[in-house]
Amino acid sequence: MKKTLYIFTNGQFHRKDNTIYFETEQGEKRFIPVEDTGEIMIFGEVDINKRFLEFLSQKEIILHYFSHYGYYMGSFYPREHLNSGYMILRQAEHYIDENKRLSIARLLVEGAGKNILRVLKYYKARDKKVDNSIVTIETLLGTIATCNDIPSLMAIEGNMREAYYKAFDEIIELPDFIFENRTRRPPKNYLNTLISFGNSLLYTICLGEIYRTHLDPRIGFLHTTNFRRFTLNLDIAEIFKPLIVDRVIFSLLGRKMITTDDFERGSEGILMKDRAKRCFIEQMEEKLKTTIKHREIGRAVSYRRLIRLELYKLEKHLMGEKVYEPFIATW
Amino acid sequence: MSDADIGVGGTLVWYYYICLRQVWLISHQITPDADDGNLILGRFIGETSYNREKKELAIGSSKMDVYHFNNGEMVVGEVKKSSKYNQSARMQLAFYLKELHKRGIQARGELRFPQEKKKEEVILDEDTLAEIERVERDILRLVYLQQPPPPVKNRFCKKCAYSEFCWS
Repeated sequence: MKKTLYIFTNGQFHRKDNTIYFETEQGEKRFIPVEDTGEIMIFGEVDINKRFLEFLSQKEIILHYFSHYGYYMGSFYPREHLNSGYMILRQAEHYIDENKRLSIARLLVEGAGKNILRVLKYYKARDKKVDNSIVTIETLLGTIATCNDIPSLMAIEGNMREAYYKAFDEIIELPDFIFENRTRRPPKNYLNTLISFGNSLLYTICLGEIYRTHLDPRIGFLHTTNFRRFTLNLDIAEIFKPLIVDRVIFSLLGRKMITTDDFERGSEGILMKDRAKRCFIEQMEEKLKTTIKHREIGRAVSYRRLIRLELYKLEKHLMGEKVYEPFIATW
Repeated sequence: MSDADIGVGGTLVWYYYICLRQVWLISHQITPDADDGNLILGRFIGETSYNREKKELAIGSSKMDVYHFNNGEMVVGEVKKSSKYNQSARMQLAFYLKELHKRGIQARGELRFPQEKKKEEVILDEDTLAEIERVERDILRLVYLQQPPPPVKNRFCKKCAYSEFCWS
Protein backbone atom coordinates (compact mmCIF):
# COMPACT_ATOMS: atom_id res chain seq x y z
CA MET A 1 0.00 0.00 0.00
CA LYS A 2 1.41 3.39 -0.98
CA LYS A 3 1.98 5.93 1.76
CA THR A 4 0.53 9.34 2.41
CA LEU A 5 3.00 12.16 2.95
CA TYR A 6 2.03 15.05 5.23
CA ILE A 7 3.90 18.35 4.97
CA PHE A 8 3.61 20.81 7.84
CA THR A 9 6.82 22.77 7.42
CA ASN A 10 7.20 25.68 5.04
CA GLY A 11 9.41 25.23 2.02
CA GLN A 12 9.61 24.25 -1.61
CA PHE A 13 9.08 21.11 -3.61
CA HIS A 14 11.60 20.38 -6.34
CA ARG A 15 11.98 17.79 -8.99
CA LYS A 16 15.45 16.34 -9.27
CA ASP A 17 15.94 13.96 -12.22
CA ASN A 18 13.65 11.06 -11.47
CA THR A 19 12.67 11.92 -7.97
CA ILE A 20 11.42 14.81 -5.87
CA TYR A 21 12.64 16.44 -2.72
CA PHE A 22 11.30 18.91 -0.23
CA GLU A 23 13.52 21.79 0.80
CA THR A 24 12.66 23.52 4.06
CA GLU A 25 13.12 27.23 4.63
CA GLN A 26 16.34 26.39 6.48
CA GLY A 27 17.68 24.72 3.35
CA GLU A 28 17.31 21.18 4.61
CA LYS A 29 16.56 18.68 1.82
CA ARG A 30 14.36 15.65 2.22
CA PHE A 31 14.03 13.23 -0.67
CA ILE A 32 10.63 11.61 -1.26
CA PRO A 33 10.38 7.95 -2.30
CA VAL A 34 8.07 8.51 -5.28
CA GLU A 35 7.31 4.87 -6.02
CA ASP A 36 6.01 4.42 -2.51
CA THR A 37 3.98 7.63 -2.22
CA GLY A 38 0.31 7.68 -3.14
CA GLU A 39 -0.59 11.21 -2.14
CA ILE A 40 0.82 14.33 -0.56
CA MET A 41 -1.15 16.47 1.90
CA ILE A 42 0.11 20.01 2.30
CA PHE A 43 -0.57 21.96 5.50
CA GLY A 44 2.39 24.32 5.44
CA GLU A 45 3.24 27.16 3.06
CA VAL A 46 4.73 25.35 0.12
CA ASP A 47 5.98 26.52 -3.26
CA ILE A 48 5.68 24.23 -6.25
CA ASN A 49 6.32 24.52 -9.96
CA LYS A 50 5.08 22.93 -13.14
CA ARG A 51 8.01 20.54 -13.44
CA PHE A 52 7.08 19.17 -10.06
CA LEU A 53 3.38 18.80 -10.98
CA GLU A 54 4.32 17.12 -14.26
CA PHE A 55 6.30 14.58 -12.34
CA LEU A 56 3.45 13.94 -9.88
CA SER A 57 1.17 13.39 -12.85
CA GLN A 58 3.58 10.90 -14.33
CA LYS A 59 3.85 9.05 -11.02
CA GLU A 60 0.09 9.27 -10.41
CA ILE A 61 0.46 11.06 -7.08
CA ILE A 62 -2.37 13.33 -5.91
CA LEU A 63 -1.66 16.58 -4.08
CA HIS A 64 -4.15 17.88 -1.53
CA TYR A 65 -3.77 21.30 0.00
CA PHE A 66 -5.24 22.64 3.18
CA SER A 67 -5.54 26.30 4.12
CA HIS A 68 -3.67 27.96 6.94
CA TYR A 69 -6.74 27.23 9.05
CA GLY A 70 -6.61 23.54 8.27
CA TYR A 71 -9.61 23.50 5.92
CA TYR A 72 -9.50 21.50 2.75
CA MET A 73 -8.85 23.80 -0.19
CA GLY A 74 -8.44 21.58 -3.20
CA SER A 75 -6.46 18.90 -4.92
CA PHE A 76 -4.15 18.55 -7.84
CA TYR A 77 -5.82 15.51 -9.34
CA PRO A 78 -3.52 14.26 -12.11
CA ARG A 79 -4.98 13.21 -15.42
CA GLU A 80 -6.96 9.99 -15.23
CA HIS A 81 -4.75 6.98 -15.76
CA LEU A 82 -7.44 4.32 -15.61
CA ASN A 83 -9.89 4.85 -18.39
CA SER A 84 -12.83 2.62 -19.03
CA GLY A 85 -15.47 4.18 -21.24
CA TYR A 86 -17.70 1.29 -20.26
CA MET A 87 -17.50 2.12 -16.54
CA ILE A 88 -18.02 5.88 -17.01
CA LEU A 89 -21.16 5.21 -19.01
CA ARG A 90 -22.50 2.83 -16.36
CA GLN A 91 -21.78 5.39 -13.65
CA ALA A 92 -23.50 8.18 -15.56
CA GLU A 93 -26.43 5.89 -16.34
CA HIS A 94 -26.94 5.22 -12.63
CA TYR A 95 -26.86 8.92 -11.94
CA ILE A 96 -29.25 9.99 -14.67
CA ASP A 97 -31.84 7.28 -14.04
CA GLU A 98 -33.69 8.59 -10.98
CA ASN A 99 -34.59 5.14 -9.67
CA LYS A 100 -31.12 3.70 -10.10
CA ARG A 101 -29.61 6.71 -8.39
CA LEU A 102 -32.10 6.47 -5.54
CA SER A 103 -31.38 2.82 -4.88
CA ILE A 104 -27.65 3.49 -4.50
CA ALA A 105 -28.29 6.57 -2.35
CA ARG A 106 -30.59 4.53 -0.08
CA LEU A 107 -27.91 1.91 0.43
CA LEU A 108 -25.36 4.59 1.30
CA VAL A 109 -27.62 6.18 3.92
CA GLU A 110 -28.52 2.79 5.30
CA GLY A 111 -24.85 1.84 5.56
CA ALA A 112 -23.97 5.11 7.27
CA GLY A 113 -26.87 4.67 9.73
CA LYS A 114 -25.97 1.09 10.58
CA ASN A 115 -22.37 1.99 11.25
CA ILE A 116 -23.50 4.86 13.47
CA LEU A 117 -25.63 2.36 15.41
CA ARG A 118 -22.64 0.07 15.72
CA VAL A 119 -20.65 2.84 17.42
CA LEU A 120 -23.54 3.78 19.71
CA LYS A 121 -24.18 0.20 20.74
CA TYR A 122 -20.55 -0.18 21.67
CA TYR A 123 -20.96 2.71 24.11
CA LYS A 124 -24.31 1.46 25.33
CA ALA A 125 -22.54 -1.75 26.33
CA ARG A 126 -20.21 0.49 28.33
CA ASP A 127 -23.16 1.96 30.21
CA LYS A 128 -23.32 5.27 28.38
CA LYS A 129 -26.82 6.69 28.16
CA VAL A 130 -27.24 6.69 24.40
CA ASP A 131 -30.58 4.88 24.20
CA ASN A 132 -32.57 7.84 22.91
CA SER A 133 -30.24 8.31 19.98
CA ILE A 134 -30.32 4.61 19.17
CA VAL A 135 -34.12 4.54 19.12
CA THR A 136 -34.33 7.65 16.93
CA ILE A 137 -31.80 6.31 14.43
CA GLU A 138 -33.46 2.91 14.27
CA THR A 139 -36.78 4.59 13.50
CA LEU A 140 -35.19 6.76 10.82
CA LEU A 141 -33.52 3.72 9.25
CA GLY A 142 -36.96 2.17 8.91
CA THR A 143 -38.19 5.08 6.80
CA ILE A 144 -35.46 4.84 4.15
CA ALA A 145 -37.37 2.33 2.05
CA THR A 146 -40.36 4.66 1.71
CA CYS A 147 -38.20 7.60 0.78
CA ASN A 148 -38.76 8.49 -2.85
CA ASP A 149 -36.42 11.30 -3.65
CA ILE A 150 -32.89 12.40 -2.91
CA PRO A 151 -33.71 15.52 -0.85
CA SER A 152 -35.82 13.54 1.64
CA LEU A 153 -33.09 10.93 1.81
CA MET A 154 -30.58 13.67 2.57
CA ALA A 155 -32.95 14.88 5.27
CA ILE A 156 -33.04 11.42 6.87
CA GLU A 157 -29.30 11.32 6.77
CA GLY A 158 -29.15 14.73 8.41
CA ASN A 159 -31.60 13.71 11.13
CA MET A 160 -29.66 10.54 11.84
CA ARG A 161 -26.45 12.53 12.28
CA GLU A 162 -28.22 15.00 14.52
CA ALA A 163 -29.47 12.22 16.79
CA TYR A 164 -26.01 10.69 16.69
CA TYR A 165 -24.21 13.91 17.63
CA LYS A 166 -26.61 14.32 20.56
CA ALA A 167 -25.00 11.23 22.04
CA PHE A 168 -21.49 12.68 21.73
CA ASP A 169 -21.62 14.61 25.01
CA GLU A 170 -22.65 11.43 26.78
CA ILE A 171 -19.81 9.48 25.17
CA ILE A 172 -17.06 12.08 25.54
CA GLU A 173 -18.06 13.43 28.98
CA LEU A 174 -15.79 16.46 28.82
CA PRO A 175 -17.38 19.88 29.47
CA ASP A 176 -14.70 21.54 27.31
CA PHE A 177 -15.76 19.46 24.35
CA ILE A 178 -19.52 19.78 24.32
CA PHE A 179 -21.21 19.44 20.99
CA GLU A 180 -23.95 22.15 20.97
CA ASN A 181 -24.73 22.31 17.24
CA ARG A 182 -22.99 21.11 14.16
CA THR A 183 -21.19 24.14 12.74
CA ARG A 184 -18.94 24.27 9.71
CA ARG A 185 -16.86 26.82 7.84
CA PRO A 186 -15.90 27.92 10.39
CA PRO A 187 -16.64 25.41 13.12
CA LYS A 188 -17.65 27.29 16.26
CA ASN A 189 -16.33 25.07 19.03
CA TYR A 190 -13.55 22.58 19.73
CA LEU A 191 -15.50 19.43 18.98
CA ASN A 192 -16.86 20.77 15.70
CA THR A 193 -13.33 21.72 14.71
CA LEU A 194 -12.18 18.16 15.30
CA ILE A 195 -15.12 16.70 13.36
CA SER A 196 -14.49 19.02 10.40
CA PHE A 197 -10.79 18.26 10.34
CA GLY A 198 -11.33 14.50 10.49
CA ASN A 199 -14.01 14.54 7.83
CA SER A 200 -11.80 16.58 5.49
CA LEU A 201 -9.01 14.06 5.89
CA LEU A 202 -11.35 11.19 5.18
CA TYR A 203 -12.69 12.92 2.05
CA THR A 204 -9.21 13.22 0.62
CA ILE A 205 -8.40 9.63 1.47
CA CYS A 206 -11.56 8.42 -0.27
CA LEU A 207 -10.67 10.60 -3.25
CA GLY A 208 -7.24 8.97 -3.38
CA GLU A 209 -8.82 5.53 -3.45
CA ILE A 210 -11.27 6.55 -6.19
CA TYR A 211 -8.31 7.73 -8.28
CA ARG A 212 -7.07 4.13 -8.22
CA THR A 213 -10.31 2.75 -9.62
CA HIS A 214 -12.21 3.29 -12.86
CA LEU A 215 -14.83 5.47 -11.19
CA ASP A 216 -15.19 9.19 -11.79
CA PRO A 217 -15.06 11.15 -8.51
CA ARG A 218 -17.31 13.88 -9.91
CA ILE A 219 -20.35 11.60 -10.15
CA GLY A 220 -21.78 10.97 -6.70
CA PHE A 221 -25.17 9.43 -6.01
CA LEU A 222 -26.30 10.70 -2.64
CA HIS A 223 -24.48 14.00 -3.05
CA THR A 224 -25.59 15.86 -6.11
CA THR A 225 -23.16 16.01 -8.97
CA ASN A 226 -22.46 19.42 -10.37
CA PHE A 227 -19.39 18.49 -12.40
CA ARG A 228 -17.23 21.09 -10.74
CA ARG A 229 -16.67 19.36 -7.46
CA PHE A 230 -15.79 15.89 -6.31
CA THR A 231 -18.81 14.18 -4.80
CA LEU A 232 -18.37 10.42 -4.97
CA ASN A 233 -15.75 10.64 -2.22
CA LEU A 234 -18.32 12.37 0.01
CA ASP A 235 -20.74 9.48 -0.60
CA ILE A 236 -18.23 6.79 0.29
CA ALA A 237 -16.98 8.72 3.32
CA GLU A 238 -20.49 8.53 4.86
CA ILE A 239 -20.02 4.81 5.38
CA PHE A 240 -16.68 5.24 7.13
CA LYS A 241 -17.02 8.46 9.13
CA PRO A 242 -18.46 6.78 12.23
CA LEU A 243 -15.97 3.92 12.08
CA ILE A 244 -12.86 5.95 11.38
CA VAL A 245 -13.19 9.68 12.13
CA ASP A 246 -15.53 9.58 15.12
CA ARG A 247 -13.72 6.71 16.80
CA VAL A 248 -10.42 8.55 16.39
CA ILE A 249 -11.95 11.65 18.01
CA PHE A 250 -13.31 9.62 20.94
CA SER A 251 -9.96 8.04 21.60
CA LEU A 252 -8.00 11.30 21.20
CA LEU A 253 -10.23 12.99 23.77
CA GLY A 254 -10.61 9.96 26.00
CA ARG A 255 -6.87 9.61 26.31
CA LYS A 256 -6.42 13.39 26.67
CA MET A 257 -4.14 13.41 23.64
CA ILE A 258 -5.80 16.62 22.54
CA THR A 259 -6.93 19.25 25.05
CA THR A 260 -8.23 22.81 24.84
CA ASP A 261 -4.61 24.03 24.87
CA ASP A 262 -4.31 22.64 21.36
CA PHE A 263 -6.65 25.24 19.89
CA GLU A 264 -6.53 28.94 19.27
CA ARG A 265 -9.17 31.45 18.36
CA GLY A 266 -8.60 33.11 15.01
CA SER A 267 -10.60 35.37 12.79
CA GLU A 268 -11.82 32.23 11.03
CA GLY A 269 -13.22 30.58 14.14
CA ILE A 270 -11.50 27.96 16.25
CA LEU A 271 -8.21 26.65 14.88
CA MET A 272 -6.26 23.54 15.75
CA LYS A 273 -2.58 24.06 16.42
CA ASP A 274 -0.11 22.05 14.35
CA ARG A 275 0.65 19.71 17.22
CA ALA A 276 -3.02 18.70 17.41
CA LYS A 277 -3.27 18.24 13.65
CA ARG A 278 -0.23 16.00 13.66
CA CYS A 279 -1.56 14.03 16.58
CA PHE A 280 -4.93 13.60 14.86
CA ILE A 281 -3.27 12.49 11.63
CA GLU A 282 -1.08 9.98 13.44
CA GLN A 283 -4.09 8.38 15.11
CA MET A 284 -6.02 8.42 11.88
CA GLU A 285 -3.16 6.72 10.01
CA GLU A 286 -2.99 4.19 12.82
CA LYS A 287 -6.70 3.48 12.41
CA LEU A 288 -6.43 3.18 8.63
CA LYS A 289 -3.68 0.61 9.03
CA THR A 290 -5.70 -1.50 11.45
CA THR A 291 -6.77 -4.74 9.82
CA ILE A 292 -9.80 -6.94 10.08
CA LYS A 293 -10.26 -10.43 8.76
CA HIS A 294 -12.25 -10.38 5.54
CA ARG A 295 -14.27 -13.52 5.14
CA GLU A 296 -14.68 -13.55 1.36
CA ILE A 297 -11.15 -12.46 0.52
CA GLY A 298 -9.83 -14.82 3.13
CA ARG A 299 -7.19 -12.62 4.73
CA ALA A 300 -6.64 -9.48 6.77
CA VAL A 301 -7.66 -6.22 5.12
CA SER A 302 -6.91 -2.73 6.43
CA TYR A 303 -9.56 -0.06 6.94
CA ARG A 304 -7.98 1.87 4.13
CA ARG A 305 -8.31 -1.14 1.87
CA LEU A 306 -11.94 -1.49 2.93
CA ILE A 307 -12.56 1.89 1.30
CA ARG A 308 -11.17 0.51 -1.98
CA LEU A 309 -13.30 -2.63 -1.64
CA GLU A 310 -16.33 -0.41 -1.19
CA LEU A 311 -15.54 1.17 -4.55
CA TYR A 312 -15.11 -2.24 -6.16
CA LYS A 313 -18.54 -3.27 -4.87
CA LEU A 314 -19.97 -0.07 -6.29
CA GLU A 315 -18.38 -0.83 -9.66
CA LYS A 316 -19.99 -4.26 -9.65
CA HIS A 317 -23.33 -2.69 -8.81
CA LEU A 318 -22.96 -0.30 -11.75
CA MET A 319 -22.07 -3.22 -14.00
CA GLY A 320 -25.33 -4.86 -12.98
CA GLU A 321 -23.39 -7.76 -11.56
CA LYS A 322 -24.07 -7.66 -7.86
CA VAL A 323 -26.15 -5.30 -5.76
CA TYR A 324 -23.98 -3.00 -3.63
CA GLU A 325 -23.90 -3.95 0.02
CA PRO A 326 -22.34 -1.31 2.23
CA PHE A 327 -19.67 -2.39 4.68
CA ILE A 328 -21.16 -2.70 8.16
CA ALA A 329 -18.84 -3.17 11.11
CA THR A 330 -19.71 -6.19 13.21
CA TRP A 331 -17.93 -5.32 16.44
CA MET B 1 -19.14 -1.89 -29.03
CA SER B 2 -18.25 -2.11 -32.70
CA ASP B 3 -16.22 -4.90 -34.22
CA ALA B 4 -13.42 -2.50 -34.99
CA ASP B 5 -12.88 -2.00 -31.26
CA ILE B 6 -12.17 -5.63 -30.67
CA GLY B 7 -9.05 -7.32 -31.82
CA VAL B 8 -8.26 -10.53 -30.07
CA GLY B 9 -4.71 -9.94 -28.94
CA GLY B 10 -2.17 -12.23 -27.35
CA THR B 11 -2.92 -11.08 -23.83
CA LEU B 12 -6.58 -12.04 -24.15
CA VAL B 13 -5.46 -15.54 -25.17
CA TRP B 14 -3.22 -15.57 -22.11
CA TYR B 15 -6.10 -14.54 -19.83
CA TYR B 16 -8.42 -17.05 -21.46
CA TYR B 17 -6.56 -19.98 -19.95
CA ILE B 18 -6.40 -18.40 -16.52
CA CYS B 19 -9.89 -17.02 -16.03
CA LEU B 20 -12.76 -16.20 -18.38
CA ARG B 21 -13.87 -13.36 -16.16
CA GLN B 22 -10.52 -11.65 -16.66
CA VAL B 23 -11.01 -11.76 -20.41
CA TRP B 24 -14.27 -9.88 -20.08
CA LEU B 25 -12.96 -7.33 -17.59
CA ILE B 26 -9.80 -6.49 -19.50
CA SER B 27 -11.71 -6.18 -22.76
CA HIS B 28 -13.90 -3.58 -21.06
CA GLN B 29 -10.77 -1.71 -19.92
CA ILE B 30 -11.45 -2.64 -16.33
CA THR B 31 -7.81 -3.18 -15.58
CA PRO B 32 -6.55 -4.94 -12.45
CA ASP B 33 -5.20 -3.18 -9.36
CA ALA B 34 -2.04 -1.47 -10.58
CA ASP B 35 -0.48 -1.47 -7.10
CA ASP B 36 -0.49 -5.24 -6.95
CA GLY B 37 2.99 -6.49 -6.06
CA ASN B 38 3.02 -9.36 -8.55
CA LEU B 39 2.01 -7.08 -11.41
CA ILE B 40 4.76 -4.63 -10.54
CA LEU B 41 7.30 -7.43 -10.31
CA GLY B 42 6.18 -8.89 -13.66
CA ARG B 43 6.48 -5.53 -15.37
CA PHE B 44 9.91 -5.01 -13.87
CA ILE B 45 11.15 -8.41 -15.06
CA GLY B 46 9.83 -7.70 -18.55
CA GLU B 47 11.55 -4.33 -18.63
CA THR B 48 14.89 -5.39 -17.27
CA SER B 49 15.43 -8.78 -18.92
CA TYR B 50 17.07 -9.52 -22.29
CA ASN B 51 18.20 -5.98 -22.92
CA ARG B 52 20.60 -7.05 -25.65
CA GLU B 53 17.78 -8.34 -27.84
CA LYS B 54 15.39 -6.30 -29.92
CA LYS B 55 12.25 -5.60 -27.96
CA GLU B 56 8.56 -5.28 -28.57
CA LEU B 57 7.26 -6.15 -31.98
CA ALA B 58 3.70 -5.02 -32.66
CA ILE B 59 1.50 -7.03 -35.00
CA GLY B 60 -2.26 -6.56 -35.14
CA SER B 61 -3.53 -6.19 -31.59
CA SER B 62 -0.50 -7.91 -30.16
CA LYS B 63 2.85 -6.88 -28.87
CA MET B 64 5.59 -9.45 -28.64
CA ASP B 65 8.20 -9.11 -25.93
CA VAL B 66 11.50 -9.92 -27.66
CA TYR B 67 12.64 -11.30 -30.99
CA HIS B 68 15.83 -12.16 -32.84
CA PHE B 69 16.98 -14.00 -35.94
CA ASN B 70 18.88 -17.25 -35.82
CA ASN B 71 20.36 -18.40 -39.16
CA GLY B 72 17.68 -16.47 -40.99
CA GLU B 73 14.90 -17.94 -38.87
CA MET B 74 12.86 -15.64 -36.69
CA VAL B 75 12.62 -16.48 -32.99
CA VAL B 76 9.91 -14.75 -30.93
CA GLY B 77 10.29 -14.73 -27.18
CA GLU B 78 7.65 -14.20 -24.52
CA VAL B 79 8.99 -13.24 -21.09
CA LYS B 80 7.16 -14.54 -18.05
CA LYS B 81 7.66 -14.13 -14.35
CA SER B 82 6.98 -17.75 -13.58
CA SER B 83 6.21 -21.00 -15.33
CA LYS B 84 3.16 -21.49 -13.14
CA TYR B 85 0.97 -20.26 -16.01
CA ASN B 86 2.57 -22.60 -18.50
CA GLN B 87 -0.45 -23.45 -20.63
CA SER B 88 -1.49 -19.81 -20.83
CA ALA B 89 1.97 -18.76 -21.89
CA ARG B 90 2.25 -21.51 -24.52
CA MET B 91 -1.04 -20.59 -26.11
CA GLN B 92 -0.24 -16.89 -26.09
CA LEU B 93 3.00 -17.55 -27.90
CA ALA B 94 1.33 -20.00 -30.30
CA PHE B 95 -1.14 -17.24 -31.10
CA TYR B 96 1.75 -14.91 -32.02
CA LEU B 97 3.24 -17.59 -34.24
CA LYS B 98 -0.12 -17.91 -35.96
CA GLU B 99 -0.35 -14.14 -36.46
CA LEU B 100 3.14 -14.13 -37.99
CA HIS B 101 2.32 -17.17 -40.14
CA LYS B 102 -0.76 -15.34 -41.46
CA ARG B 103 1.61 -12.63 -42.65
CA GLY B 104 3.91 -15.11 -44.32
CA ILE B 105 6.54 -15.32 -41.61
CA GLN B 106 7.63 -18.70 -40.36
CA ALA B 107 8.80 -18.27 -36.79
CA ARG B 108 9.78 -20.32 -33.79
CA GLY B 109 8.62 -19.49 -30.27
CA GLU B 110 10.56 -19.39 -27.07
CA LEU B 111 9.07 -19.02 -23.62
CA ARG B 112 11.48 -17.31 -21.28
CA PHE B 113 11.46 -17.49 -17.52
CA PRO B 114 14.40 -15.31 -16.51
CA GLN B 115 13.92 -15.85 -12.80
CA GLU B 116 13.92 -19.59 -13.23
CA LYS B 117 16.69 -19.46 -15.85
CA LYS B 118 14.54 -21.57 -18.10
CA LYS B 119 13.50 -21.56 -21.77
CA GLU B 120 10.88 -23.62 -23.54
CA GLU B 121 10.25 -24.06 -27.20
CA VAL B 122 6.80 -23.60 -28.72
CA ILE B 123 5.91 -24.83 -32.19
CA LEU B 124 2.71 -24.19 -34.06
CA ASP B 125 1.29 -27.55 -35.17
CA GLU B 126 -2.10 -28.46 -36.67
CA ASP B 127 -3.74 -29.21 -33.33
CA THR B 128 -2.50 -26.03 -31.70
CA LEU B 129 -3.67 -24.01 -34.67
CA ALA B 130 -7.17 -25.49 -34.45
CA GLU B 131 -7.28 -24.82 -30.71
CA ILE B 132 -6.18 -21.20 -31.19
CA GLU B 133 -8.93 -20.64 -33.72
CA ARG B 134 -11.52 -22.09 -31.37
CA VAL B 135 -10.25 -19.88 -28.54
CA GLU B 136 -10.40 -16.75 -30.68
CA ARG B 137 -14.06 -17.41 -31.43
CA ASP B 138 -14.81 -18.10 -27.79
CA ILE B 139 -13.06 -14.91 -26.68
CA LEU B 140 -15.26 -12.90 -29.02
CA ARG B 141 -18.33 -14.60 -27.59
CA LEU B 142 -17.20 -13.71 -24.05
CA VAL B 143 -16.42 -10.12 -24.87
CA TYR B 144 -19.91 -9.56 -26.19
CA LEU B 145 -21.60 -10.80 -23.01
CA GLN B 146 -23.60 -8.09 -21.25
CA GLN B 147 -22.00 -8.95 -17.94
CA PRO B 148 -18.78 -10.63 -16.94
CA PRO B 149 -18.92 -14.36 -16.20
CA PRO B 150 -19.38 -14.76 -12.42
CA PRO B 151 -16.23 -15.21 -10.37
CA VAL B 152 -15.15 -18.81 -9.91
CA LYS B 153 -12.41 -19.57 -7.43
CA ASN B 154 -9.45 -21.29 -9.02
CA ARG B 155 -5.80 -21.84 -8.16
CA PHE B 156 -4.83 -18.52 -9.73
CA CYS B 157 -7.12 -16.36 -7.60
CA LYS B 158 -4.73 -16.23 -4.71
CA LYS B 159 -2.15 -14.11 -6.50
CA CYS B 160 -4.50 -12.40 -8.93
CA ALA B 161 -4.61 -8.58 -9.02
CA TYR B 162 -8.36 -8.82 -9.60
CA SER B 163 -9.06 -10.97 -6.55
CA GLU B 164 -10.17 -8.11 -4.31
CA PHE B 165 -12.40 -6.84 -7.05
CA CYS B 166 -13.97 -10.27 -7.57
CA TRP B 167 -14.37 -11.25 -3.94
CA SER B 168 -15.27 -7.94 -2.29
